[in-house]
Order: sequence, then structure tokens, then C-alpha cells
Amino acid sequence: MTGLGDLLDDVVEDIDAVLVFTKDPGTHEQFDDEEFETIVVATENAVEADKFVSLPLQFKDLTGRIRYALEGALDAEYIADGDDVVCLTTFIEDDGIDTVVRVKGDQFSHTGLYDLFVNSRADSEVVRNVFEVAIELGKKGQKGKPVGALFVVGDAGKVMNKSRPLSYNPFEKSHVHVGDPIVNVMLKEFSRLDGAFVISDSGKIVSAYRYLEPAAEGVDIPKGLGTRHMAAAAITRDTNATAIVLSESDGMVRAFKAGELVLELDPEEY
Amino acid sequence: MQVDVGDVVRSLFSEEAAFTVAIIVLITGGIFAYFIWRWVHLLFERTGLNAAVEGTTFERSVSRFGTSTSGIIATLLALFVYTVSIIVAFNVARLLDFGVFWAQVTRNLPRLFIAVLAVIVGLIAGDKAKIVIKERLRSVKLPEATILGDLAKYSIFYIAALIALAQLGVATTALLVLLAAYTFGIVFLTAIACKDFLAAGAAGIYLLLVEPYTIGDEVEIGEKRGIVQEVDMFVTHIESDGEEYIIPNQRIFRTGITRIRT
Repeated sequence: MTGLGDLLDDVVEDIDAVLVFTKDPGTHEQFDDEEFETIVVATENAVEADKFVSLPLQFKDLTGRIRYALEGALDAEYIADGDDVVCLTTFIEDDGIDTVVRVKGDQFSHTGLYDLFVNSRADSEVVRNVFEVAIELGKKGQKGKPVGALFVVGDAGKVMNKSRPLSYNPFEKSHVHVGDPIVNVMLKEFSRLDGAFVISDSGKIVSAYRYLEPAAEGVDIPKGLGTRHMAAAAITRDTNATAIVLSESDGMVRAFKAGELVLELDPEEY
Repeated sequence: MQVDVGDVVRSLFSEEAAFTVAIIVLITGGIFAYFIWRWVHLLFERTGLNAAVEGTTFERSVSRFGTSTSGIIATLLALFVYTVSIIVAFNVARLLDFGVFWAQVTRNLPRLFIAVLAVIVGLIAGDKAKIVIKERLRSVKLPEATILGDLAKYSIFYIAALIALAQLGVATTALLVLLAAYTFGIVFLTAIACKDFLAAGAAGIYLLLVEPYTIGDEVEIGEKRGIVQEVDMFVTHIESDGEEYIIPNQRIFRTGITRIRT
């Protein structure tokens, strides 16, 4: 056992901060009042910690979760670039901490994953709600069949000027916002329509059936993605919007911002 | 009740019988008071009032004396019932014969009881109001916001005190005038403060229902020209290169809208 203990000691030696992924006050208290910084990361600040990073989604993917937490902590200046950070998190079990990970503060190149949720033009709540719709749609599909969808969130005025209607807008003169359960059902029903959904900064669904017409020259996205992704990447380069795409072919949810692919996740994992 | 129970019993039976009746009245009063005490406790538990008063200053200071709000109110009610039964018993037995004094007491006892109750309810309601307002404003990290809670608390205290004093027959006209002035002040100030909001909301309802312009249209309002980004109840966001104007809806109504068609 001493070998194991030593190994664990090595892992947690000379660290500057601890990221605790917990909602349990007991677990939090265990690490409070230590010589290093304790930062709580969770979907809500249930333990009322001073230093807290809010997770927008319950990331199942460990790397994504740690990446988001690190970027969040860096952004709030809880940690600095060169700091050694230990993450205490849950990997296999549903609750309780079973994993200790040591990372450098600048382990990941800055991908803008945190910015996607926090510093988007649209409210972070809206971005999160659209993600939830996309993930649920990816999981269940439309009546069991896989569907694709493209949501353009934020900067709606500009997006509307850089797109044209394919048909009558079903959301005209309606004042519905993403996040309402009934609206999510509507979005799912309308996802069989061609074209993009345009959603405003505050979450109002401005239009469906939009054909995006941005200039796509020089947009660089991974090869193999289709026209839907290309249109999404291009519109985010031309405007300050964020695009969230559900791929029809491989069922992945991808987010684009400023013409770049920022996040890629598998709906089946959520 | 003008029938003197004591006289009736005395004429029917004897002096001793009247004394027995008095003792029976005492005992029934005691049992009745006990049941009332139990019932109030149960009522508090069942209706969740116990949980509602939890955390108020009154509840906390009461619990320091080893009782609770429900305990105090129950005891008060029981005491009231028992006092009434004692008075009836004394009357029947003719142990004491200063009738005028007792008549006064029976007349004033319910009033005293209501006054005490008003004070207790006022204390609890005031504290509770403060706690609720504080919870609501917790996300607003502004120290000045706590004054709202205190304001509500002391307003409720004041009204409770007014009710209690009025029950006891103290002249409260001056205090009432003060209360009226205070309420008028608050209503008046709120109306002034919310005037623009009302106007903006009324215009906003029209804009949302009729949609003379929607998100994506290029408009000119007053001197400001740009693309509409957002329309809500109170304001419209218009964006031109690097500048976002947030215009109150009533201004849009006053100046009119120019839609720019391309």
C-alpha cells in the first residue's frame, strides 16, 4: 500500500489549486481551509463556495469537463497559466469522487469552450437551452429517424439580414422563447423543415426556414462535414452569432463560433 | 346572557348545589382549555404554520424560553378559556361579589386577548416579510437593498401595534393619520417611479402585438439608425456598426419609426 500512497502523494505534491467537482457540502468542507486554493465546479453552487465555476452541462466526457473547468477558473483568475492543478472528480460512479487528475493550468490550448457559454452574445442560459434541445433531438431523433438541425443563436438582426426565407416563417408574430418545455417540442417538430432556426440574444425564436447566405470563402472546418456545418461556420464568422448544429449523418452536436469549431459532443453520452 | 345560573341553581336545589356546579364548571373549563391547547398545536403542525414561522426573530427568542410560537398561542387561548370558566364559576358560587369589576373584566378580556394576538401575529408576519424579501433580493448584491426588507418589517409592526392599541381603546387617530400619510407617500412615490415603465409597457404591448418592425429590419428612430436586434416589453435594441442603442418603447412611439426598405 505504501507504493500506492507514495504515488498518490507524488500526484498531489506542490499543487497550487484544487478543482472539486461536487455538489455535496461535506466533500467541500473536507478541502476547505487548506494551504491551496479550493475551487468548486458544479452545475449549481450548492455548497455556497466563494470560488465557483458553473458547469453549463453535466459533461460526461472527462476531458471536456476538466477543460471547461480550467478555462473557467483561468477566466475568473482563480488560477494562473503555469499553476499545477489537481482535479477531484467523478468518472465511473454517479456520485462520490473516484478520480484524481493532475493538470497544468495551460494544459489545453485555449479553445473558447468556456467563452462559448459565458461570453457569447446571447445569454448563457439561452445557449444552454439550445444545447439541450439539440442533444435531446440527437438522442431521440424525429420519430425515431435521425434528423439534422441548425440553430443560429444571438445577433439575430444581422443573421436575418444575411439570410433569406425558404418559406413562410412559422414563428412570425409569435413570442416564444427557447427553454419553455412546449417550445422545445415545437422546435423538435419543426426540425424536419429545411434551413436554419434563428434565435435572438434573449432566446426569442425569430424564424425557422432560413437559408443562410454568408460568404463561405476561406472557412476552415474539418473535412468530411457537410453543407450544414459549412453554413454554420460561415455565418458565425460573418456575425457575432453562435451556431449549434446537430449532424444528420453522424448524430454529433457541434458548436461554432467566429468560424471555428469549438465544441463537439455525442448526444448519447448525456 | 342575562340569566343568572347561580340563582337558577340556588332556587332549584340548594346553596351546596351551586357550589358543586361552580366546581364542575371549573373542571370542564380546565378540560376544555387543555383540548384547545392540543388542538392549536395540531392545527399548527397540520397547516405547516410551524415551518412558516421558522427562522423569524420572534420564533427564535421564544424558543430560547423553551417554547414555540404555536406553544405561546395555544397557551394564550387555553388561558383565555380557563379564565372565562373561572369567572363563570366564581359568579355561580357567589364567592366574590364585586359584580361591576367582573363585568368589566369579561368585557375587556376578549379585547386584551385580541390585542396580544395582534402583537404576536404582527411580530411574526413582519419578520417573515423581511426574510422573504431578503431571499428574493439575495441575487442582487447591493447593501442598500436590505432597507426594503426593514421597511416592510417595520410597516407591519406599526400596523399590528395600531390594531392592538385600538383594541385596548387607546386613541389612535393621530397614529392612523400618520399611517395614511405614509401609505399615500409610498403609493405616490411608486407611481412616479413607475411612470416611465407604464408608458413603455403600454407601447411595448402594441409593438409586440402588431409588430410594425421585427428583428432584422433596418429602422431609424429619432436620430438612431440600425438593425433591430431585440424587442421586449420595455425597450428595443437597435444596433448599427459597433453601437447598440437601447431605446425605451414610449420614445419609439413618440418619435415614430422610419423603416428603411432596400
